[in-house]
Amino acid sequence: MKKLEFKGVKFLIFVVTLYALLSIIDFANSLLGFQKFLYILWGLLPIFLFIIILTTMINYFLKPKQIMKYFGEDSGKKGLIYTIIGGILSHGPMYAWYGMLDDMRKHGLKDGLIASFIYARAVKLPLLPFMIDIFGIVFTVIINIYIIIFAVLQGKLIDMLMKK
Amino acid sequence: MLKDKKPSLKKAFIASTISFISILPMIIAVVGLIGLFQTYVTADMLSTLFGYSAFSDIIVGTFAGAVSSGNGAISYVIAEGLQSQGVSVYALSTFILAWVTLGFVQLPAEVSVFGLKFTSYRNILTLLSTIIVSYLAVITTRLFV
Repeated sequence: MKKLEFKGVKFLIFVVTLYALLSIIDFANSLLGFQKFLYILWGLLPIFLFIIILTTMINYFLKPKQIMKYFGEDSGKKGLIYTIIGGILSHGPMYAWYGMLDDMRKHGLKDGLIASFIYARAVKLPLLPFMIDIFGIVFTVIINIYIIIFAVLQGKLIDMLMKK
Repeated sequence: MLKDKKPSLKKAFIASTISFISILPMIIAVVGLIGLFQTYVTADMLSTLFGYSAFSDIIVGTFAGAVSSGNGAISYVIAEGLQSQGVSVYALSTFILAWVTLGFVQLPAEVSVFGLKFTSYRNILTLLSTIIVSYLAVITTRLFV
């Protein structure tokens, strides 16, 4: 069984200290900030649940060897395509996905694919109507194609840079 | 966690939950910082940064998007307002792209999970990509419209 090792404790202490200091010098805004914090956290709960279930499914169905096969060094085009599709379809803030990506990374997920996944998230399917409304359909289609191309390029570059 | 033998569903769920709980302090810290950012860095404040020159709008768009946080839909609402102020499509698209791909607020969290080297490379590449993608999208669109 995996040991529980907390990440970001120092960062959390910093943020709590920041709130404490702000509550002394600007109580009204620090309280507003805290209310926003609670509101955002509440909204994220379904996403957290979804990510736990998705990670459970990956742990249950995929063995480390399979993760290596699909997302490791020799994953090739297939791994890249799965990653880009996963990035486009993933919802919620990026930091909510860090745990799952970290978990898969420990079992062979390539750094380049992590970068591709993160950049592909810039294609926001639910927000496409807003984009079309502001920029028009031609620009929207073109920019999203470029985002996917650059997600691939970024992945390749990260793999090259991380090997150095 | 991911063992060579297939784990039971219960064990896989417990392992996933433990894995998620381990990053909870980091997530709470990021959301806490976002709460403060949304309080102190308002949409009106961001709007006042634009409109000086096309070049400065692009730089401002990139950095304003990178320091902003929250749901991506908010960036579109702000962009719509900026559009009516005459801010260029290039600056608006860099702003929206930077909003969804960069995140200064979550940098400490990214470093703690993926390490400084990966985070530095990824964020520098993303910053450059944001500017290049927006530029290419604008000039390519001109060929069709």
